Amino acid sequence: MTSIPLEHFLVLAAGLFALGLFGVLSRRNAISVLMGIELMLNGVSVNFLAFARHWGWATLDGPVFAVFVITVAAAEVAVALAIIITLYRRLRTSDPEAAADLKG
Amino acid sequence: MTLSVAIFYAVAATVLGAALLAMTQRNLYHCALWLVVSLFGVAGVFLFLGAEFLAAVQVLIYVGAVTVFLIFGIMLTRDVMTDRVPRFNRQALSSAVVAILVGACILFAVRSLPPGPAADIPAGASDLSRLGPELLLPEKGFVLAFELVSVLLLAALVGAIVIARKDQENPK
Repeated sequence: MTSIPLEHFLVLAAGLFALGLFGVLSRRNAISVLMGIELMLNGVSVNFLAFARHWGWATLDGPVFAVFVITVAAAEVAVALAIIITLYRRLRTSDPEAAADLKG
Repeated sequence: MTLSVAIFYAVAATVLGAALLAMTQRNLYHCALWLVVSLFGVAGVFLFLGAEFLAAVQVLIYVGAVTVFLIFGIMLTRDVMTDRVPRFNRQALSSAVVAILVGACILFAVRSLPPGPAADIPAGASDLSRLGPELLLPEKGFVLAFELVSVLLLAALVGAIVIARKDQENPK
């Protein structure tokens, strides 16, 4: 698979990141925002692994970081969903716009 | 264009298409399902990159646990009365522009890269047997992060339970 150039993986990673960012910024459901965050984290992991392969796996920083990204994402989803469920109990909606009490 | 390269382009197109659909569907459950497709595709991309262990971990944890958890959250917070909730907020158009600009900035930053090692990658360079020592041996440098991540998982576990439990009136 070394015939696939690095740039193609980077385009894929950038596309994933941009799509996730669009979801985070524009969706009106907190769980959709969480899904956008997951897409962004996946784009980052692809980027790390693409560069690790590009340098011939000289150091394994890329895969180790990708493992940590996946682990931290799992922990983050747990806490984020707990928060969303608690918010839903209070506000009867999971729209982030409804939780804008602190907004100027 | 060998068959495997063609398959890579198909998988990449699937990943991006499913991600776009996951971010734009009206039905939240469909969004979660398209996210599952996209994450499976990313696991395939990991296989093309030669990181088999990470592909397995991706399927196990991201697809197998994170998306299941997201679907739990969708089921538990579904407002069955309102099916016509708006999808996008007021800044949807500008956030689309910002997202495209961010993607363009990332690609601009990596437009000229030095070529990698000319020789082909030695077999077994990305093996799992090399990844384990990275995480556990003190001289490799990631053992502290490894221990901290395990503490983080414990904290997330306890924190999620504490946050989500019902308010209890303490009679004592």
